[in-house]
Amino acid sequence: MSSSVLQRIASGDQGAVRVCIDLYGALVWSLARRLSRSIADAEDATQEIFLDVWKSASRFDAAQGSEKVFIAMIARRRLIDRLRKITAEPPMESEEVLDSIVWAEPGSAQETASEAEQAARALQELKPDQRRVLELGLLHGLSQSEIATKLGVPLGSVKSLMRRGLIKVREYMNIDAERVAAGS
Amino acid sequence: MAGTDPSQAPDERLIDLVIKELGEPLSDSEMRSLETFDAADVGRLRRDLERAAAAVTLAARLTDEPLPGRVHARLERQAADFFARPSAVASASSTPGVSDLDTRDRKAPAGEAPVTGLSVRATAVRRPPALGNSAGWWAAAACLALAAVGWLRSPSPLTASPASTTAGGLVDAAPSPATLRAQLLASGHALRAEIPAGKDPASSGVTGDVVWDPVSQRGYMRFVGLKPNDPALQQYQIWVFDAGRDQRYPVDGGIFDVPAGGGDIVIPIRVGVPVRAAKAFAVTVEKPGGVVVSAREHIVALAQLT
Repeated sequence: MSSSVLQRIASGDQGAVRVCIDLYGALVWSLARRLSRSIADAEDATQEIFLDVWKSASRFDAAQGSEKVFIAMIARRRLIDRLRKITAEPPMESEEVLDSIVWAEPGSAQETASEAEQAARALQELKPDQRRVLELGLLHGLSQSEIATKLGVPLGSVKSLMRRGLIKVREYMNIDAERVAAGS
Repeated sequence: MAGTDPSQAPDERLIDLVIKELGEPLSDSEMRSLETFDAADVGRLRRDLERAAAAVTLAARLTDEPLPGRVHARLERQAADFFARPSAVASASSTPGVSDLDTRDRKAPAGEAPVTGLSVRATAVRRPPALGNSAGWWAAAACLALAAVGWLRSPSPLTASPASTTAGGLVDAAPSPATLRAQLLASGHALRAEIPAGKDPASSGVTGDVVWDPVSQRGYMRFVGLKPNDPALQQYQIWVFDAGRDQRYPVDGGIFDVPAGGGDIVIPIRVGVPVRAAKAFAVTVEKPGGVVVSAREHIVALAQLT
């Protein structure tokens, strides 16, 4: 298997950084725009995320997941950190935008990584309220209390819905990983 | 206890805590509850669920926007800076293959003091009190009782000085922070400000200065009389007040330790984001690894550029 971009960065290949920016810039920027309060904030966040990515490059293990998911993990963490630091309020998106999420269909061109496909398959099996809770928490950065308020349900219900939803996603990803490992 | 149901099965409680941690800071009681579980189990679950959360994020049909050219250009400059510090890559490469993606660097690149903490974890982030300016930091410091008993008494001996907290080898070859500070000061490009005596008992007798070059974004803080700390208990953290940013949220300038014996020490300021117009530099006492937002309970130094 040829070296991934992150492995090249970890080995000190400066040219790989440009490739990394080209490959993942739109992804990181899109996530930053979604979970930032302003354009300026998204720009700062994007810089911080890429710095995190470069510094963590050596920790990437292709056996544990795709490069894209690795970067999405870093981006999500950084953005949630910033969001919580900057405001107690939900991110900048309007109700209209909050309602606009459309999940990728498994097997469609919207999938960006095999693990995303697995997640998309799991999401299809979730109940609408489970999907909604994951959407508000993971894509829009709302806290569990904020989700409870927004949906008008008890906090315990939000926790339960998130737990079941995310466990289902994890199960799908693990099941598929085992299948791949078995060579089927 | 908020967020914890005692009647809940332990497995479910653990999962709920880790899931909550994915999106928001845990309370102190929740953190304590999390610490009752096996660390390996927590780490494994945290990794799995973070991976699942990232995959869910990717599964959403995001409206991809191309990276703006100006941001691309900034990233390329940042990359050049990153690779201009060989220790940055070396530091990352030398890290064992950990599954935990916490990129907070607690130790410095070779030859320099601790680098900027770059936490991408949401745990233990505390919202600060709404203090509108840096002067408020001193006011807060004056009002708060000094409770860090472990901080001021019998610090554990450190194994390395701030200038040599990383693995050896390259340390001797690299200029010391004191040398680099002197060079920066001699360049004529840097701003300098004294650290006046503070009101927090922990800052008693602390003097020094800050030297900052707004162009190269490099700077150093020099301290005399700063008390040694036990890094297993607490660490010092530098904050930069940027006139171009919300003053409630200064820029993280890195964490550092003061070894037993202390003396005259020089600590590099390492910012992870551009500082447009630095106007003040503060040092707080924080938990090991530093924090994303300081609770400002102990401010041991504050220097204001004029």
